[in-house]
Amino acid sequence: MSGEAGESGDHGPRRVHPGTIAIDFLRRAPQTVIGLPAIAGYTSGRSIGWILLAAAVLGIVMLLITWVGWRRFTYTVGEHELVIERGLLNRSRRSIPLARIQDVSIERKPLARLFGLAEVKVETGSGEKDEAVLDSVSLAEAQRLRAALRGYRTPMAASESDDIPIEAADAAALPVIFRMPLSRVLLLGAFSFSLVWIAALFGMLQFFDQFIDFGIDRARDWAEVAKDEVQARFSIAAALAVAAAALALGVVSGVIRTLLRDYGFTLRAGGGRFRRTRGLLTRSEVVVAMRRIQLAMVQRGPLRGALGWNALSFQTLGGSNDPSGRQAMAPLARDHEVARIVETAGLPQFERLPLRPVAAGHVIRCVLLALPWPLLVLALALAVTPFAWLGTLLLIPMAGAALLQRRFHRYALRDASLQVMRGVIAQRDWIVPFENVQVVTLRAGLIQRWLGVASVLVDTAGAGGGGAPDVVDLNLADARALANGLVERIG
Amino acid sequence: MLLPDIPLQPLERGQINVMRLTSAVGFGGAAIATAIAGWALSQSWEWLPVWAAPLAITLLGIWTILLAPRRWARWGWAWTGRELHVASGWLMQSHTIVPAARVQHIDVTQGPVQRMFGVATLVLHTAGTANSEVDLPGIARETAEGIRDAIREHLSSDPW
Repeated sequence: MSGEAGESGDHGPRRVHPGTIAIDFLRRAPQTVIGLPAIAGYTSGRSIGWILLAAAVLGIVMLLITWVGWRRFTYTVGEHELVIERGLLNRSRRSIPLARIQDVSIERKPLARLFGLAEVKVETGSGEKDEAVLDSVSLAEAQRLRAALRGYRTPMAASESDDIPIEAADAAALPVIFRMPLSRVLLLGAFSFSLVWIAALFGMLQFFDQFIDFGIDRARDWAEVAKDEVQARFSIAAALAVAAAALALGVVSGVIRTLLRDYGFTLRAGGGRFRRTRGLLTRSEVVVAMRRIQLAMVQRGPLRGALGWNALSFQTLGGSNDPSGRQAMAPLARDHEVARIVETAGLPQFERLPLRPVAAGHVIRCVLLALPWPLLVLALALAVTPFAWLGTLLLIPMAGAALLQRRFHRYALRDASLQVMRGVIAQRDWIVPFENVQVVTLRAGLIQRWLGVASVLVDTAGAGGGGAPDVVDLNLADARALANGLVERIG
Repeated sequence: MLLPDIPLQPLERGQINVMRLTSAVGFGGAAIATAIAGWALSQSWEWLPVWAAPLAITLLGIWTILLAPRRWARWGWAWTGRELHVASGWLMQSHTIVPAARVQHIDVTQGPVQRMFGVATLVLHTAGTANSEVDLPGIARETAEGIRDAIREHLSSDPW
């Protein structure tokens, strides 16, 4: 073991252990060095000697590439940052401030263990996973690195006393702030009625229809006169029965799924953490540290919302043992119950009154975006069957929803948070504390520029996708004010 | 200009050549590949117009190369001392604001073509999800390193 390239001093650039070249080579050898020439040789019908020669040449080339990659990869633990340089053609130099390093983990895979090496992974809690991977260094170097990189954060870690896990006995004694009795779990199940079953049953109906047709074809030989009547009766009766069965199955499956998942839903709070337990057969417990909550989202489904029920979830950034993503905090709750959980989390309450609507152009753009696809589908369906005209009935609620979008899309910069509401049929409210806004983007497409509007996209940590608290189609001036206001408050 | 009150700086002139060369290489490669594929197919189908696809790609490539200065002009950036602004886009215009306090780590990268014309790309990584990586291509390496060092001064202890 020649050490890490023999560099002296703590601050000079170092390379990962040269043994890594051998490990990398061994790991990739089976598929390339042996596989490719073997296939090529076999298909062209060459001798075994030719295959060996090709394998040797390919092996040397690969070894050379691996060696160059190893030589170009250096890391430096500086006073304030970890610097990683890599790449021959595409050169990149990554600086990771030590203050940002969340976790340093050491992993020992079997092959690396054989060489007495370890892989060091550095996590900073940014959008991607494993921002720096040192693959691989000697075990002693791995431990030195962990000490050096973690040591920087110790003064701060001391203040994170709320991260100390609470004993299980204490957890049960924490005050319950939300609980779903059995009746409410069943109600949630009835709401979670799934359409998948209906689709499956209609698929089956289609299948049996052919089967029945076949039977009727046979019957035609015996009783041609009765045929029409039998078919008509049978299909109406069968369709009704199947529809009823699908409906019942949809409800039952929804109830069973919800019961399995949410039975005994209990949310406790204390020590800066939420503890959620739920489940009938597999009881799951999830801990959400309050300081890792990024935003709160309240959802109302079409029927649930009309009946005054909300679903509350928090978007969290996972720590070492907490999950990240969106966590359901209350799947079916009244307004005051939601307000209580939000208050416990230390978040500001959602207030609807001070919110302002987005630009009028939003209506035009919603209609423009909502209609083309259904119209296209309808046109295609019309080519197949004239009954597709019935589809226009579906267009009416879609157009209605598009026209109402603006009424339900409102936003405001409050004292400590950005608050956004959006959605007509499925409504969502967001509470985003300013300190959790990561990146703000103003965006305007072609249609938006014609309408004189722009969108403000708000990026947060923990989970992305459709649940982002974006404010769409603001008047240009309002969009600028919102973006500037957000950035000013981030500090 | 989505945010006119922020005076934006243009990218380095060298980035125009980077854009030209990358489009030339990309479209040239695609034209050659389709030419080879077309020739191979024409062995069995004689009616195939071998020249059609490569020609279309070449014309598209020439158009892209000619438009490089205009695409370049759509880019703009500003470092205000507290946040980095990056504006880009022609049909879909966007203006991204990254507060320095939210930056997790920073990359300065240089590909072979960029090195040839003396420019680099600054990449800011935040804890965000949809937009966790914000790229600013086509600035001088010294500028990129200067911004990187300036951002380091602004790190808040708890970005999330």
